[in-house]
Amino acid sequence: MKIIGILTAILIFISLYLIFGYAHIEGTMLEVQKIFYYHVSAALTVFVAFGVNCVFSIKYLIQRKRNDDLLAVAAAELGLVFCTIALLSGPIWARYAWNTWWNWEARLTSTLVLWLMYVGYFILRSALEGDKRRLYSAVLGIIAYLDVPIVYYAVDIWHGGLHPDRGTKWNLETTMRQTWMVALLALIMLFTLLLIVRYRMKKAESRYEIVRQKYLGEVSQ
Amino acid sequence: MKIAVLVSCLVVLGLFIFATQVPITLTEDEVAKAIGEAGAEAELPVDEDILAQAVQLSVAKLEKAQSTRLKYLASAYFVIWLVFILYIFHLDRQQQELDKRLAQLENENVPL
Repeated sequence: MKIIGILTAILIFISLYLIFGYAHIEGTMLEVQKIFYYHVSAALTVFVAFGVNCVFSIKYLIQRKRNDDLLAVAAAELGLVFCTIALLSGPIWARYAWNTWWNWEARLTSTLVLWLMYVGYFILRSALEGDKRRLYSAVLGIIAYLDVPIVYYAVDIWHGGLHPDRGTKWNLETTMRQTWMVALLALIMLFTLLLIVRYRMKKAESRYEIVRQKYLGEVSQ
Repeated sequence: MKIAVLVSCLVVLGLFIFATQVPITLTEDEVAKAIGEAGAEAELPVDEDILAQAVQLSVAKLEKAQSTRLKYLASAYFVIWLVFILYIFHLDRQQQELDKRLAQLENENVPL
């Protein structure tokens, strides 16, 4: 855990140095293009986070282990955090590049829908209790994940949007590509670190609830 | 964890200030080279003075808009770090609450 923490901190510092001190300034967007490194990396981390949620939701439905549910929730929570970052940093780019804060184009809209679905996931969890909560949220987690490929392929499915083609980010100039790779790695490491922290906290909370219920049950008897 | 985020905030700020202190000014040599290349590529003969004026004007325009571009860049990274910090403080608060509840159970002699 400590090693992951130190590694994440180092990677974040390196990525920030590369963004502001190493990567070349792009010709059209100039300095504003530097938003790309964390914006796109956060968006890709969202896919990883919701992917983890989907995998452990399926695992929960098959094996009905409480820990799988806890890991799925932790991943969903972090996915929501990274999705919020992508949704908030995107409009700043959009305002400069396209002269608008928001546009109802395919990728933006499908990302907002993804965010709303996972907000719904947490609303559902807070409305239910016990096994029902775990079961229904696992099902919703799997359904919500279906939106991830839609977000990713939105620019191919619905042409004419504001986002560039999927391949654009892979055809970057060398210093930009290296910087982006480090930024992506840094955010994925940060996600891993926070996932471990959150999972441990959820486990402790769950254990507390079990002990408390058992104790209260004994006291009331 | 909180310390790491706060330190990284300072680093972002530091790097940002470091990077933005240097305006994108083009040297006289670079401008002369650009004018020379543009003149060589032009199919018709061009007035070098007019061309030099045009280049200087567009460079000045580019520099003038730099503060606006940096505002966008700063805002984006500010928002990104703000979300991270808020989330980590939220985690920290939850951890404190959990610690309190566990201590309470311990005081009641509940075996954990």
